Amino acid sequence: MSTPEDNAQGAPERDDPMIAAEWSLGLLEGEELLAARGKYATDPAFAWRKEWWDGWFAPLADAIPGAEPGEHVWQAIAARVAAQRAAAAEPEQLGARIADLQARLRRWRWIAGLASAAAVVALAWLALGPLRAPAEPPAPMVAAIPLGDGGLRLDVTYVPESRRMIVTALGLAADGVHDHQLWLVGADGRALHSLGVIAPGTVRSMAVPDELAAQIGEGARLVLTREPIGGKPAGAAAGPVVARGALGRV
Amino acid sequence: MATRARPGPEDTRAALRQAMARLAAGDEAALEEVYRLTRVKLFGITLRILGDRKEAEDALQDVYVQLWQRADRYDPARASPIAWLAAFARNRAIDRLRTGKVRGGAVEIEEALPLPDEAPLADALLIDAEQTAQIHQCLERLDARTRQHIRDAFFGGLTYAQLAERAGVPLGTMKSWIRRGLQRLRACLEASEAA
Repeated sequence: MSTPEDNAQGAPERDDPMIAAEWSLGLLEGEELLAARGKYATDPAFAWRKEWWDGWFAPLADAIPGAEPGEHVWQAIAARVAAQRAAAAEPEQLGARIADLQARLRRWRWIAGLASAAAVVALAWLALGPLRAPAEPPAPMVAAIPLGDGGLRLDVTYVPESRRMIVTALGLAADGVHDHQLWLVGADGRALHSLGVIAPGTVRSMAVPDELAAQIGEGARLVLTREPIGGKPAGAAAGPVVARGALGRV
Repeated sequence: MATRARPGPEDTRAALRQAMARLAAGDEAALEEVYRLTRVKLFGITLRILGDRKEAEDALQDVYVQLWQRADRYDPARASPIAWLAAFARNRAIDRLRTGKVRGGAVEIEEALPLPDEAPLADALLIDAEQTAQIHQCLERLDARTRQHIRDAFFGGLTYAQLAERAGVPLGTMKSWIRRGLQRLRACLEASEAA
């Protein structure tokens, strides 16, 4: 995680306890924050250290003056809790749907394993929103695109609310000869819209332009093509499709 | 714990500990009691971090709804329920702040709220006094500049980039300062635990 800039001026090594401290203090953002969340879910030592820091920093909050929230806050909390309890009491309906969703989320999390922990946690974190309150934004969609027979996969998560796509290409290595380019198959089933060249070994988060976002829905198809280094040259046809997948709601 | 707090906070702590234990055991009515005992403190925290009353109230809602959802994960043997709740509330508020940024700057940090004094408020001593003294002591041992940046991060919910911009120094410089400070802080806190 460390870059030369990170260690400017003889800063200490940025080990896990340091990252836990940075997270606890609230300094992390973007992909570093997602990575820390992922590590928290999968690495007990890191989780312990994060809570250790939380526990030590907590007394500082005593210096923050208290404030009285509006009376509607408790009413809203009570209403949300009651709604969830009612949902849980209808196992055939919403309760079952939630349980199913949670099971699918767990399964996906299990399948994804450590490699894409950051993306999974980002997903879980965002996906659980709708469980808490049905009025919250739509659940993210995921696609797992298997690559060959070696068990390697490309994980794609699309978050409709923020129109961001997170592409996890951990475990993949560049071959130095080709790049792979990800495409969205248009709503017409024919046109290919580039989602960019895959960066092997990274988790990338990118903004999806509005005109493409409008075409992303349940079942939207993704294809991966093999291209010369740098991606499909302008004017040339796209290279051979080497893998495909479809987005589905978790 | 050697420190004997005044009866007031001590009673509140006992009541809170009891309510949290009931909540963890599945007694949903205990949530209202936890809310009654902690809402002022936790709202102070979300308001400080988010700087906007509406956002802070929404964050506060999330805090208690999630607390109810995850009540079984709370360990009643934990030393200080209020410290745990304070960290929980601050984490949720910062989540909201960072998610807001992901959404494209929907949430702006208002810096209208003044930072608190260095000394904890006397009437706010819900959190363990000994632990409070120790973190302040360890922070005191840092150089004033680093201490201030760490405090700004804690109280203002600022990122490295925001801190660097405010101080007018390169990002790498700010990271180095704070990481050195955090390393020394950790050594000091660990030494206090070993003692």
